[in-house]
Amino acid sequence: MKPMNQMRGVAVAGIGLMRWKRYADQEIYDFGSEAILNALNDAGMEWKEIQTAFCGSVYQGTGSGHQVIKEIGMTGIPIVNVENACSSGASAFRLAYQSIAAEIYDIVLAVGFEKMPRGPIPSTAFRPYELKMGFNFQPANYANETVRYMTETGATVEDFSRVTVKNRKNGALNPNAFFQAPVSFEEVMNSRVVATPLRLLHCCPTCDGAAAIILCSKNKLKSTTNRITVAASVLASGVYGGVNPVKSVKFPPPFDIVEFSAKQAYEISGYGPEDMNVVQAYDTMAPSELWNLEKLGFCKKGEVLKLLSDGDLDIHGKLPVNTDGGLLSRGHPLGATAAAQICEIVLQLRGEAGPRQVTGARIGLAHARGAGPNSAVTILKR
Amino acid sequence: MASSFTFLNESGPLEFHNPRSPAGLWALRAWSRFGSGGMSSKKKIAVEEGLWTNPSIPGEKPHLIGSKCLSCGELYFPRKKKGLCIHCQKRALEDVLLSGKGKIVSFSVVVQPPAGGFYKGPVPYAYGAVELPEGVELFSLFTGNLDGLQVGMQVEMVIEKLFDDEEGNEITTYKFIPTRIN
Repeated sequence: MKPMNQMRGVAVAGIGLMRWKRYADQEIYDFGSEAILNALNDAGMEWKEIQTAFCGSVYQGTGSGHQVIKEIGMTGIPIVNVENACSSGASAFRLAYQSIAAEIYDIVLAVGFEKMPRGPIPSTAFRPYELKMGFNFQPANYANETVRYMTETGATVEDFSRVTVKNRKNGALNPNAFFQAPVSFEEVMNSRVVATPLRLLHCCPTCDGAAAIILCSKNKLKSTTNRITVAASVLASGVYGGVNPVKSVKFPPPFDIVEFSAKQAYEISGYGPEDMNVVQAYDTMAPSELWNLEKLGFCKKGEVLKLLSDGDLDIHGKLPVNTDGGLLSRGHPLGATAAAQICEIVLQLRGEAGPRQVTGARIGLAHARGAGPNSAVTILKR
Repeated sequence: MASSFTFLNESGPLEFHNPRSPAGLWALRAWSRFGSGGMSSKKKIAVEEGLWTNPSIPGEKPHLIGSKCLSCGELYFPRKKKGLCIHCQKRALEDVLLSGKGKIVSFSVVVQPPAGGFYKGPVPYAYGAVELPEGVELFSLFTGNLDGLQVGMQVEMVIEKLFDDEEGNEITTYKFIPTRIN
């Protein structure tokens, strides 16, 4: 196995975003192709320059990437559809990155898109009796993990509400976010209970959307100013004993997969958590941002609560987290989410994040945790 | 390898028939039949066969059926039908009856039905992780006073109705209920 950091360097040529909302009158090929065209425009590239495409989605059915690309024009290039739950977008990005690093292709598209079913996510990653017993309610599965986290760290529901307030404040500065209005602490605390101890505003909203990224070898970059490169792109899947929320009592996991994916990303990139200027940490539920930041190595278990209350996780804090509003504001179209996290890091490193810009950001990390389980960590640098 | 069906409890293992052997399968089917509500037209049907035993002796409690690896000692619920240990990859699993008592590790009270229409039980409902003393954690529904659930609380396993199906049969499931403090 050849170490990734001994392979060819890969750059981000362009990104394509669009407004995330509930599109009653549009299909994935409508807004998915819009994101791709935006990425081409951003990269200053022609569609015929794209040599292969990796398309992330979860619920879109057979050949969904083909359906999206048909709206732009089929050119005979290989199109591969990637379903990896909430890490699909990052998994598509990683495949694109690897195919350039390995010198198989020079210019590759990674895209994620999703038109979400309404209501709670109808995850099918359960056995028939588990479905009949109602174990497929994702907020409740997160709630179980949250109860463990509260028991271990002393975190409170008030802490989780502060995460929502922070991310909704950031989302109000993001014209592509699903929610573009801030919420008060009281509004979060008074929102209805969904699955104890989690309330509605602790849960990310599902919506429709797409995000596209064009990657290329450094010599193919058109821009002389926007030179963002991939320092690491890591994916870790589950490890025995730690399949949340049920764990092995006799053989607990030797490591957590979020910790494991972050450790690999730091080793490959040569950077540590202390080098990150901006972070997108997976906040599918407000408490998960907190435990993911700890697992990503930014502080010890339980210490993130102080960072949160001190304002360190704010856009102008020491460790700005979920600057585009995160899943809690941006919304969660499953296949697109992890790709959009990467796009936000690109905007921040280019200095193009407008009112939510982190001053002087040079290195950033995007993290997506998903069912399977999977954990994807991407580190980009300027 | 001698086939056996081990009953794990604090006083040590008791040997039963292996339900994968013909005799054991017969015994499991007999348990299911005795637990099916007799001659009444309304049948009791387990949410899935093979999750727990339906004892034929009056007063004997049902037990969850798990698997134990004879090589590494890992325990599983539900039982692994393939007989393969997913911890050490040895084909050395035997069926075991799990103790009916444990403690709550985590829980959540859910106030709306999950998506997909698979769940037809009451709402609100509660589920979470229970750790059994022999060293296995499993997911279970909770019953009793859901507002009183707490981490660390002692619970015991009961078989209860999940919902009535369209033919009027009672679909049953395992649940854990907080143990009464005397």
